[in-house]
Amino acid sequence: MSEQNHKDKLAAVLAAGINRRSFMKLMGSGAGLAAGSAIMGGSLVQNAIAAAPKRGGTIKLAWIDAVDTLDPHFTASLGSVKILNNIFNGLLKVAYDGKKVSFVPDLAEKWEMPDDKTHVFKLRQGVKFHNGDPCDAAAVKWSLERVKDPAVASPHAWKFETLAGIDIVDESTIRMRFSKPYAFLPVALTGSTGRAGTIVSKRAVEQHGKAFGRNPVGTGPFKFAGWRENESITLERNPDYFEPGLPYLDGVQILLIKEPTAAVAAMMSGQVDGMSLSPFQFVPQLKANRNLKVYGEVEGNYSFVAMNNRRAPFDDPMLRKAVAFAINRDSIVKQGYFGEAIPAYSPISPPMTGFYDKNIGKTGRGQFFDLKKAMAYRKQSKVQGEINPVYIVSQGFTGSGGSGTRNSQLLLPMLARIGIKPKIELLDRAVWTKRRNGGDFDMYDEAWIADLDPDETIYPEWHSGKPWNFVGYSNPVFDKLVSDAQDTLNQATRKKLYDKAEDVIMADAPLAMLAHMKVFKILHKRVQGFQYIPVDLLNLHSVWLS
Amino acid sequence: MFQAVSAKLAQTLLVLLIVSVASFTFLKLAPGDPVSIMLGSDYSKTSYEQLTHELGLDQPVIFQYGNWLADFVRGDWGTSYITNQNIFELAVLQALPVTLTLAGFSLLIALVIGIPTGVLAALYRNSWIDVLATTLAIGGNAFPSFYLGIILIWVFGVDLGWFPVLGFVAPWEDFWRGLWHLALPAITLGAWYVGLIARITRSSLLEVLGQPYILAAKARGEPAWRVVWVHGMRNVLMPLVTVIGLQLGGMLRGAVMTEVVFALPGLGMMVTTAVLNREYIVVQAGIMITGLLFVAVNLAVDQTYQFLDPRLRRR
Amino acid sequence: MTEALNVTALTRESQWKRRFLQPMLRQRSAMVGLAIIALYILAAVFAPWLATHDPTAQDLMASLQGPSAAHWLGTDSYGQDLYSRLLYGAQLALIIGFASVAIGLVVGVAIGLAAGLMGGRTEWVLMRIVDGLLAFPELILAMAFMAVLGLGTENVVYALALSFVGPFARMTRGDVLQVKNQPYIEAARLMGLTTAAIIWRHVLPNVVSPILVQAGMRVSIAILLESGLSFLGIGVVPPTPDWGLMIAEGRAFITMAPWISGVPGVALAILLVALNLLGDGLRDAFDPTTQKDA
Repeated sequence: MSEQNHKDKLAAVLAAGINRRSFMKLMGSGAGLAAGSAIMGGSLVQNAIAAAPKRGGTIKLAWIDAVDTLDPHFTASLGSVKILNNIFNGLLKVAYDGKKVSFVPDLAEKWEMPDDKTHVFKLRQGVKFHNGDPCDAAAVKWSLERVKDPAVASPHAWKFETLAGIDIVDESTIRMRFSKPYAFLPVALTGSTGRAGTIVSKRAVEQHGKAFGRNPVGTGPFKFAGWRENESITLERNPDYFEPGLPYLDGVQILLIKEPTAAVAAMMSGQVDGMSLSPFQFVPQLKANRNLKVYGEVEGNYSFVAMNNRRAPFDDPMLRKAVAFAINRDSIVKQGYFGEAIPAYSPISPPMTGFYDKNIGKTGRGQFFDLKKAMAYRKQSKVQGEINPVYIVSQGFTGSGGSGTRNSQLLLPMLARIGIKPKIELLDRAVWTKRRNGGDFDMYDEAWIADLDPDETIYPEWHSGKPWNFVGYSNPVFDKLVSDAQDTLNQATRKKLYDKAEDVIMADAPLAMLAHMKVFKILHKRVQGFQYIPVDLLNLHSVWLS
Repeated sequence: MFQAVSAKLAQTLLVLLIVSVASFTFLKLAPGDPVSIMLGSDYSKTSYEQLTHELGLDQPVIFQYGNWLADFVRGDWGTSYITNQNIFELAVLQALPVTLTLAGFSLLIALVIGIPTGVLAALYRNSWIDVLATTLAIGGNAFPSFYLGIILIWVFGVDLGWFPVLGFVAPWEDFWRGLWHLALPAITLGAWYVGLIARITRSSLLEVLGQPYILAAKARGEPAWRVVWVHGMRNVLMPLVTVIGLQLGGMLRGAVMTEVVFALPGLGMMVTTAVLNREYIVVQAGIMITGLLFVAVNLAVDQTYQFLDPRLRRR
Repeated sequence: MTEALNVTALTRESQWKRRFLQPMLRQRSAMVGLAIIALYILAAVFAPWLATHDPTAQDLMASLQGPSAAHWLGTDSYGQDLYSRLLYGAQLALIIGFASVAIGLVVGVAIGLAAGLMGGRTEWVLMRIVDGLLAFPELILAMAFMAVLGLGTENVVYALALSFVGPFARMTRGDVLQVKNQPYIEAARLMGLTTAAIIWRHVLPNVVSPILVQAGMRVSIAILLESGLSFLGIGVVPPTPDWGLMIAEGRAFITMAPWISGVPGVALAILLVALNLLGDGLRDAFDPTTQKDA
């Protein structure tokens, strides 16, 4: 698909809809219930219009992304998150009406904000965990506090850094008090990507301890039934699920596959009902297959080339900018992602409604391919003559187009044009991770994925001193801009702050942007009722097999 | 005999000990560690140090090995850092049966195809049948199992749709479905052996067919098939058994590839993943089992020798 | 005196001819194998002249194309010319194959000789270590070793060499033991020959033939293992032209461009067949009665 088609398509997708600002205002004024149920009702209506769902059956899915643990407060992999969202609920959940992303109440029935530092959630009545325990205010409070508890050491604790306290107002109402207004909260409180807000069963955690990750107990439409290592994870229907009538399926069998092409083969021959992800190059074929339905749009992510700001040669911003403008992103999109991506000018991506500027290409903002500019910056670099930075790559266990070593190989000729010949060091994943974390590299490429809010997509990755800031970028102007953007709920203010922050970081170029990628879910046509959400989720709540 | 076996056993245990020290050393020397992997991107120095301490990985290396050994011998094989699963359960109850089944079925296929091929080649020596059979035999050895597996998946699994392309169904739970799922992987793994078995069969049979006692049997009027299969094959059995035993290493190597390509949760997959994740206790467990298997097979081969060739039986 | 020496030299030469060259020439299939291998070696050596493109030159416009006039065997997903990559890949495969076997052979034979000749405790210790090495599945051993050394061509050679030490050591020791007790060795020692001379003139020649057979087989295993490691992503570094890497990359495009995996796969298969033929031929020539496959 040409770039022009992409832009048009994106423009259509992001056309008018309720924008987030007015939604937030509705929330603030306590009309959350109305807005929430309007959206909820919408999706139910959508369901009723389609053919009548059939009950029963077990869906078989090929899972090609790794599952590390099913404890939502500890997982770092999206392969796990996709499964978790079927086992657990959060206070909120992510909803998508085809045009924009929103956060709607899930376990909470009503969401009020008496002031911009306090959030009151009225919980649904009668919700039970899979082990029978009631999911009441005490249970929710315990789960939220578990994330923040330093003794538990959850890697998601930072999402509740400004949480001052949780009060139980009554049996089904809790109040969360923050020390500062916290704009990121809706994302943090979702059961899926947010992970911090996923409500887990206290009794089960205490019973299993560290092994809770292999014995998850939540409130979701499916109960955990078993996990055979490197083989499969099985889920079974939760008959007591609180959404009436759901789920339709009796069970889910998740086959853990390391080899993407085997999964594609199984998909094309109809031996599995769906795939959790798809390598980019197979998408045209899968789309052409009449038995399959391909869901996938550009999601909240960006891929980039990171450069080590702490040492030569990339401690020199001029050299970094040269790299940033020397990369032909159209080429990367076409060859690295087989057309299933769009060039990224800056970190903020399309699903971030209200923040993403679909016309950013025309504004001159951000990074883009301009060889003349790249050469100009190169001439101003401290080091002239050929440079050989160490570029660490990892193939890992499988290689699929668009990741692994592919980007590095595509970049080689592009960088050669500005006199940079990277020395590619192939490492296995363990060593690659260690060297990246320890700052022992000059370049690497990676992607931050499944982000819904600008905060999570640039704050922990590029703010000074933050744990994911592996390149050592430090600019106090940038730091202040993104911190301030966290502390206000005003959409317009946040957008201005993020625009400025983006301009700062793109000018400093601690990274070179590559692309915003599409993320695909492939389902057989006999799988009905699937609602695609552009944040890498595979929700089976309303799915049925015909 | 008992003394011989127990001496051999003691020797084996010593060897396994050396192996465990070696594999432990390798993984400890290798850069990268399970904690970085577990934390991945959600990495912070404090959580790293905390987890390292929790897993006991900050202790001196000798202590770690000592602890592991003491636990291992007592039957406590530990819990995987990454998955929190009991390793004994993982290795012996889940992974081992898969690999054994795969290996067994592969061997069966290799024998079923290889022996008749070899026999035909020997009987119709130097004819086109011989050439065809020998080509088939050699061809089996030529393709890397990962390549052959991929071809089989796409041709027989997708295009023709005859076999399932992934997933493991235990034959002891559902016999025919289990075998059906194992068909492609077993052919992939067995291909390597087909060649070997065919060639051994052919050359051993050829060696024997000229012998006087064969002519005598023919003269007695015994039917041809009896001559070949009963008298002739006796000579084939010993070299065949030797080869099978000695090639076990090759089968384990092929099993890793086959397990990866076909998504079979066997030992090969388990150990490979563990090496890549630097989870040394899982690697140790896997290597111990493989080592024991190796020795068990060698012992079995020795015993079979004695059974097959009475001359070797010690009084 | 001079005459006697000359005679000795002559008989030794014809001895070698008689014992090695002639039996080999009689095996037709082995000769076929040798011819094919020679072809590959030529292709590898003359790769820079035979190749039509730079093997790592990307031409993204021409990627995923089948055989054509411009690219004789087609292109891969980066637009790199498969024919050129095939030739350079042959270089790499043969170098890795032979180098790793050579190193493994030298070290293994040395250990085997030491064990066999010295006997006693030294032998016992050395052989237990060898047993340990042999008990390790080869692929896992190579992986673990590479985890320590790091990835890349050189380390692949060392890792593979390590897994070959065992078989060579064990075999050498066995042969040494067999030869050691022969009367002519005893005689040689009584005659005052140094141990080194005994090894060189009497032990080694008897040991060489089975070792060569073993080496032939190991080369094909080395190439297989090396491509396996690259396939798993822990072998040589891309974009090095390497058959294993090419097959691994091609796997992801198998439906739309099967030649990416097909070309190196077939090339690899033919080389392995040739090596096997040669190995068989060698074995039949020298040890017609035994079937040593270890």
